[in-house]
Amino acid sequence: MNFELSEDQNSVLTALDSIMSKFDASGAEPHPYVYSRELDEALRESGFFSIAGEEGFSPLDGAMVIERVSRAPQVVESAASILIAPFLPFDPGTAPIAMDASSGREPIRFLPIARFLVTLHNDHVSVAAVDPAKVAYAESLLAYPYGRRGSSGIDEVATFGDVDLVRRRWQTGIAAEAAGCMAAALELVLDHVKTRFAFGRPLGSFQAIQHRLAMAAETAEAVKWLAYKAAWSDSSADAALAAGFAQSRTAQFTYDLHQFCGAMGLTLEFPLHLWTYRLRALAGELGGASAQARRAATSIWGEAA
Amino acid sequence: MEFGWSTDERAHRQRIQDLLAEALPQDWEQLAVHGPGSDFQTDYSKEFCKLLAAQGLLVPHWPKEHGGEDAPVWKQFILGEEMWAVGEPRGAQYMNVNWVGPVLMRFGTDDQLSRYLPPIREGRAIWCQGFSEPSAGSDLASLRTAALPVDGGYRVTGAKVWTSYAGQADYCFLLARVAATEDGPTGKSAIVILLTDMSSPGIQVKGIPALIGEGDIHEVFFDDVFVPAADRLGAEGQAWEIITFALQNERTGIARYEFSRRVLDRAVGRLIKEGRWKDPVVQDRAARALMLCEAARMLVYRVVDAKANGLTVDAYSSIARWAVIEADNGVNDFLTEFVPAGLRGNDPVQQAHHQRAVSAGIASGAAEIQLNLIARRWLDLPGEKHRQ
Repeated sequence: MNFELSEDQNSVLTALDSIMSKFDASGAEPHPYVYSRELDEALRESGFFSIAGEEGFSPLDGAMVIERVSRAPQVVESAASILIAPFLPFDPGTAPIAMDASSGREPIRFLPIARFLVTLHNDHVSVAAVDPAKVAYAESLLAYPYGRRGSSGIDEVATFGDVDLVRRRWQTGIAAEAAGCMAAALELVLDHVKTRFAFGRPLGSFQAIQHRLAMAAETAEAVKWLAYKAAWSDSSADAALAAGFAQSRTAQFTYDLHQFCGAMGLTLEFPLHLWTYRLRALAGELGGASAQARRAATSIWGEAA
Repeated sequence: MEFGWSTDERAHRQRIQDLLAEALPQDWEQLAVHGPGSDFQTDYSKEFCKLLAAQGLLVPHWPKEHGGEDAPVWKQFILGEEMWAVGEPRGAQYMNVNWVGPVLMRFGTDDQLSRYLPPIREGRAIWCQGFSEPSAGSDLASLRTAALPVDGGYRVTGAKVWTSYAGQADYCFLLARVAATEDGPTGKSAIVILLTDMSSPGIQVKGIPALIGEGDIHEVFFDDVFVPAADRLGAEGQAWEIITFALQNERTGIARYEFSRRVLDRAVGRLIKEGRWKDPVVQDRAARALMLCEAARMLVYRVVDAKANGLTVDAYSSIARWAVIEADNGVNDFLTEFVPAGLRGNDPVQQAHHQRAVSAGIASGAAEIQLNLIARRWLDLPGEKHRQ
């Protein structure tokens, strides 16, 4: 048991922070989300997204990278590229990957920028090459690019049977992304309540607000460590618990953080939504908290006799 | 970073589990129903802790110079998890080894060490914690029990309340306030810690029947009780520093989530046996309680790991403590709804867990105090008096 970063992990995260610090989203126009192709390409070219499959590194290192990348105001696809791509039956290169469990019935996160689509079926996983020109952009409230499959432009290139691997890595990715979004959203709101005054006092001096932010801090910390534990153990039970916990806490967490920013937090000018509307998107992935809870339950205690 | 147990740690846990399986009476679950403070468990703790001491398992984490083995922090914590998970057969003595002893080692005089440490490490001392008063619970600094300086010591007058284990205690870790003088100390600086012999003339203990088991809540009255100056821990004015150190050790010392997890496992076992596990609502709710336990476990482990690495713990222990309170209550809520027969007398372990869970957010400092500490010390939020 050791919660401290190793020297290698420290070096990786320091280098990652150095790249990310060059991308400032403050000048961006108000928008439901800010996808940055430049940041995406910089991270891929630097090799951060292939870390989980490299000698001496593991999915835990990958989860740390996902968590850090998800703190950025800009959104890039990292979880599937880091945790799933190295384990596909072919090398997808350094291209964004979209994930779907609805067989194309629902708009798919990251599809407009993806080069590959991984679809989770009951008994197998299929991988398809995506022609972005034929993906219909889906207008969404959520802070990710969403797209719909067209009748063409999605060509299956491989199938394989390890459904459990893809699901647990997807769940771990959900938890790691949520951890990063929570950390960044909390930091923003803490700055806000320390500098915004009402009744002659900073908002953050009111105990009613302090207690809920303290609970939010516990949520953010717990999500992070559960995500890391799931990435470390790479077990179905831990992955379901981590994603389910993150998803189950999202409603309260996002409600409270928006509440403390009042009407400012309802505008697109105020960047809080860049993380909370990612969290709300993640809350519904893979069936949401209840589906994850039931998967954890049967994984740990077994199916009904 | 890694989250596994070493071979040595796994063997240590197995050794403790084997010892518990062999040592605890066959009807332990029924006997332990009234909690660690009950007369039964207090008496039993003297037998059990002697056994632990003989096996080198009572204070292995203490320094060698004080009778320990300098064992790693994690080993002591594994011991704590296994003990709490079965209803804490060390009874009140868990407190001695977790924080009373370590506090004495850090702040005590040679004379105090030679008098108080041997009974603790031999498993035969019961201590109680004379902190809370009728008008000073979570707001500990407002305590009023008076310590009047007299020739050779102090004369103590006042009352303590909610005091666990007082009915059976040999000693009290007593907080009192030196009477204000014109140029004398005030506030927290006027508090002194007196290691008080509970057989001293003038001490009266009265048990208060409670929802949380036997022996957990007492009133303790001090009527002009003489405590020698040699029994004051630390200097006058140093008490608050000592208390802060003690509370940091106390608050993460109990692995409540482990007991909750095992009671939850047991309840699911019963639901499976009764054919009720196929209900997806039951599965959902059981796993949500489980998530709380595992979240609490990770946050507590984070605190233990910081201690093991010699880092400052401070406010993170309050984050962990809040998670533990959520876990205890989440599991208790699940059990109360889905296996209610356990509380109707069918399951002594569930009853014992319920009694621990309902006090989880109250004992050792209210949950709201933990939230205050997180807000002020972890999130660095401004105080209520902050003005523009």
